[in-house]
Amino acid sequence: MELKNIEALKSLLLKDDPEFWRRLQTLTGEGRDFDDLFLLSSLRKKAHARQLACPAMAQEKVRLAILGGCSLYPFHELLEHFCETAGVACEVWLGDYDNYIAEIMDQSSGLYAFAPHIALLLPSEQRCRYSGSLSDSRQMQQAEAGKVVESLLELARKIHDKSRAEVLLANFLLPSRHDLGAYRSRTLGSDWSFRKWVNLELGLNAPAFVHICDLEFLAHRLGGTQARDERAWFESKQPCSAALLVELAREAAHLIGSLRQPPKKVLVMDLDNTLWGGIIAEEGLEGVELGDTSPRGEAFKAFQKYILSLKQRGVLLAVCSKNEQAKAAEVFEKHPEMVLRMDDIVSFKVNWEPKSENIRQMAAELNLGLDSFVFVDDSPAEIEIVRQFAPEVATLLLGPDPAGYVGQLQDCRWFEPRTITAEDSARTDQYLSEARRKALQSSVTDMNAYLESLGMEAILSEFTAVDVPRLSQLINKSNQFNLTTRRRTEADIQALMKDPAYIGFSARLKDRFGDQGLISIVIGRQQGQTMHIDTWLMSCRVLKRQVEDEVLNELARLAVRRGCARLQGVYLPTAKNEMVRDFYSRMGFTLTSENEQRREFELTMKSFQPVATKIKVTRQAYDPS
Amino acid sequence: MTQADVIAKLQTLFDTVFLEPVVLTPTLSAKDVPEWDSLVHVSLVVLVEKTFSVHFRVGEVETTRNIGEFADLILKRKQEP
Repeated sequence: MELKNIEALKSLLLKDDPEFWRRLQTLTGEGRDFDDLFLLSSLRKKAHARQLACPAMAQEKVRLAILGGCSLYPFHELLEHFCETAGVACEVWLGDYDNYIAEIMDQSSGLYAFAPHIALLLPSEQRCRYSGSLSDSRQMQQAEAGKVVESLLELARKIHDKSRAEVLLANFLLPSRHDLGAYRSRTLGSDWSFRKWVNLELGLNAPAFVHICDLEFLAHRLGGTQARDERAWFESKQPCSAALLVELAREAAHLIGSLRQPPKKVLVMDLDNTLWGGIIAEEGLEGVELGDTSPRGEAFKAFQKYILSLKQRGVLLAVCSKNEQAKAAEVFEKHPEMVLRMDDIVSFKVNWEPKSENIRQMAAELNLGLDSFVFVDDSPAEIEIVRQFAPEVATLLLGPDPAGYVGQLQDCRWFEPRTITAEDSARTDQYLSEARRKALQSSVTDMNAYLESLGMEAILSEFTAVDVPRLSQLINKSNQFNLTTRRRTEADIQALMKDPAYIGFSARLKDRFGDQGLISIVIGRQQGQTMHIDTWLMSCRVLKRQVEDEVLNELARLAVRRGCARLQGVYLPTAKNEMVRDFYSRMGFTLTSENEQRREFELTMKSFQPVATKIKVTRQAYDPS
Repeated sequence: MTQADVIAKLQTLFDTVFLEPVVLTPTLSAKDVPEWDSLVHVSLVVLVEKTFSVHFRVGEVETTRNIGEFADLILKRKQEP
């Protein structure tokens, strides 16, 4: 980074200009070198010391514990810097140098008194080394590697059991010197093979609350010999070079962010010079560059193939192009080298309206927030329009060379799965059948007849172990139809399933157009004769389909069976859940108290009558009486 | 480059890093600056190496007792091919 950038930032600070924060964020995103980031972080601390008005942090502070077999400074400073500039404020607790085993095993240690939300463990490289001889049997070497893996995962489990924290676990750097030569890969006893094996096993065996902070990958990306710094180890016990320390901190901040924010859901694509080379309206079907007959055509085809793989991971694909609709559609229908076809696209907006408007319309049609969208285009002007008029949309400006498109999209980090569920890949099908359903809706005037014609079937099921990843996913990404927006990890749900005070059930819905999958979740907590509705959320895809009626029927049935006299519901407003502000009133509840932060409602069981619907209900897992 | 030139360049770095203004003189040492603890020192060394395009050998920075000696060390390493 050029020094003049730092100097310009400094002068903003001296003028107490709040523009400082936006500029700091941009420079932090661009910064690669340790010295730049160290200076940026110093300026950030100065800005706080000068009490320069800063943007409000949306969420409560994350309590972050960092432990490790190395010095944690300046790592923690970089990490705090990345987290803060990404809008996540942290309160940090640091373990002592190489004292992590004691800190984790000792129930009374400062770690547990701190009660971390997230614990980051950088284990000691010195403990990841085969102790025997290079020529020992593979079984012996494997057994020892297995022990290293098991003991690390055991430490992670201990942290999680005692504090409920999510655990970020760094894996191990590989050697980058020629030592052992080609023999290094012929034995598991070499540091090279031993650590590779341990790293693989760690990732493959890590439970859901462990998130691997992939130091091996980061070092590989940076270059092995750039990743280490022996002098820094001897002098101040640094785990790696300053350059890798930056990448490690950036990665840890990214993982922390992704624990809080759901991934993006929709990729909106331009057409000309994005999905194919050239301009379809001018060059025609035969003239555009696409496919294996030319290197440029191959590059565009490879980009489409990668995009198709995103769809298979559950990303929705949409098109937004300034073009002639018929000509553009013809490429999808007739071009033999097209990888993406109309069936893959949930929304096809090809017209001359501003792209920001088109994307807004898509958001409304798909019932998704604008912040679920990523827009990719090769034209800086189009990107700028979207940035200005739909700033919630993430944008990616493609570079001048289509050979780099795949890499750009792969590095944008917006579509990283945490756990891939089978329903992710079925999602496009769900949205397409929604389109057919809407077509039917417009042809049937009588709402009841329409609902009847759908042939809806719902399965109401007590929380089951196998559903936990899907439950957690929906709980963490539902924003609009969500009364309380309480987020829960998989571990939280498992704990709740064991707690007799809680009831929890989910609803799945299918109809003659398709299976919607798991679409609604309710969690209740019984207190004497009152059933408090802790969580009630639903996927917006199934609005106005009477699912909420059946869910209330079920909730009432369970409450009465447990001897409750009333249901108590609360609405906690967020920026996104305005649509359910009056939900409880609509469902027959009485408003009992109200202020800015919450609205409380009550429904007496004595007066409750189950609502008849057009949904055929099956109950699973608990007493179906 | 003289010792004074090095110190002048160090001054701009220190101005960015430290919250409280520090005036660098050849006799100033880390213990005179409350914010200059062993932690900041680690980052400062990386920063100085990058700024002056020098590489210190293991352990030698901690043998310098004040800014003057530190500046001399930077000059010595800068003269290496």
